[in-house]
Amino acid sequence: MAANSSDTESILLVDDNPTNLQVLFQTLEGVQCKLLIAKDGESALTIAEKALPDLILLDIMMPGIDGYEVCSRLKANASTAYIPIIFLSALGETEDKVKGLQLGAVDYITKPFQPEEVIARVNTHLTIHRLKREVETQKDQLEHELEVVSLVQRRLLPKHLPEIAGFKLGVHYETSRYAGGDYYDIIELPDNGWGFLIADAEGHSAPAAVLMAMTCALFRALPSSAADPAEVLTYLNRHLCKVADPSFMTALYAVYDTNSATLKVARAGHPMPMIYRASEGKASEFVCDGVYPMGIEPYEQTVPITETTLEKGDRLLVYTDGLTERFNVDGSAYGEERLLQMLATNPIANPQEIIAAIMGDVEQFANGHPADDDQALLVGIVE
Amino acid sequence: MEITQNVEKGIACIAFKGRLDADTSPEADQTVKGVLAGDTNKLLFDLGALEYLSSAGLRVLLTAAKEIKRRDGKIVLCALNEFVKEIFEVSGFQSLIPITDSVESGLELLT
Repeated sequence: MAANSSDTESILLVDDNPTNLQVLFQTLEGVQCKLLIAKDGESALTIAEKALPDLILLDIMMPGIDGYEVCSRLKANASTAYIPIIFLSALGETEDKVKGLQLGAVDYITKPFQPEEVIARVNTHLTIHRLKREVETQKDQLEHELEVVSLVQRRLLPKHLPEIAGFKLGVHYETSRYAGGDYYDIIELPDNGWGFLIADAEGHSAPAAVLMAMTCALFRALPSSAADPAEVLTYLNRHLCKVADPSFMTALYAVYDTNSATLKVARAGHPMPMIYRASEGKASEFVCDGVYPMGIEPYEQTVPITETTLEKGDRLLVYTDGLTERFNVDGSAYGEERLLQMLATNPIANPQEIIAAIMGDVEQFANGHPADDDQALLVGIVE
Repeated sequence: MEITQNVEKGIACIAFKGRLDADTSPEADQTVKGVLAGDTNKLLFDLGALEYLSSAGLRVLLTAAKEIKRRDGKIVLCALNEFVKEIFEVSGFQSLIPITDSVESGLELLT
């Protein structure tokens, strides 16, 4: 939105003395603003609320409600609180000025005033007020645009988790700002196989969201089968290299074969998965070799694949580091150990409930300290 | 975060102290860009006093590595603490940027 041109701006002059009002009026005639006048506090409040002027020059000593009271009431009213007020009074003591400024006035001019001074101060505050409005409008627009990006982005995520026979899933996804760089997707493969992708674009907000959307598009348009984790990451990387600079994207792609209960994992700069082994009653990181994040350079070597077999009751957790690097006020991070603990100790073998417990624990740990990064996690349990 | 820089025998050295994360990486990025504005093609990062490194911080190092590589130059990261080293290894960056245990061995690698 363009700035209001100065001829549409208005100033409300408030003084109970007609002579003072007239002098003020004449002083400000050259400012090219619409001038409104009020002769007492009550009518000043009425006019201010109705006309919403861009600036108010307010006398303090008036019969009825005085200038201080008018100022307090204007500041207490949401529709008029933002209007800058300049006190104009013969009271020249420091404490009068301080009181006026403490009530929310932007300036104070002592009577008798010099016309040039009044004009200069009025122009300054009109300019500040105008710039402030512009900044706020632009901020609103940006926030609106980010909300739209966020909405579009949410639609890119799977709408529902698939029902997989023998492998129950749960998921959590949240962004630290409107739009995020985290992404997860699940794809059905031939012969009862399932592919799980979790990825994290460096940074957050709009640029990360663009990279996330790009990865989503590439993944959904895979030219070959998604059954080979190494091939999937190699393909995604080759294409992301053309667009990601100077950012990058970590990713983990896992293929689970429900027939044989085997899990194959390929990793590009992403945190390792965590596995809880029911037979051992403990959880640990599933150590797997990886390659550097996607979007930097095409991989020269073959992306390593690490394989394992899961058993009934085993739990698989993949996540983005926004979770383990969630900080509290003291600056310490949630960390992998605590996450492993949460994965192992929950007696209820329901993925969504385990996730709820983890997120509850993370929030408790952060203790109100907001997340600086997006957080995503996916839990699967062998039934 | 504190950033110090100096040039030693034609090698540009940048030291980060504290946390290199989303908050501090713009400043670090500016410093690195400033150093690379010249024709430097040997760059050493002294990370001995770096306590924490986030993905935004990794990007600063990566951007520098890419630029040095483009100039056929050499880059090295030195004296990473265990935490930072682990982040570096888990993220696979060690195959892109060499690391050494000490600044001395880093300087040797570049000369």
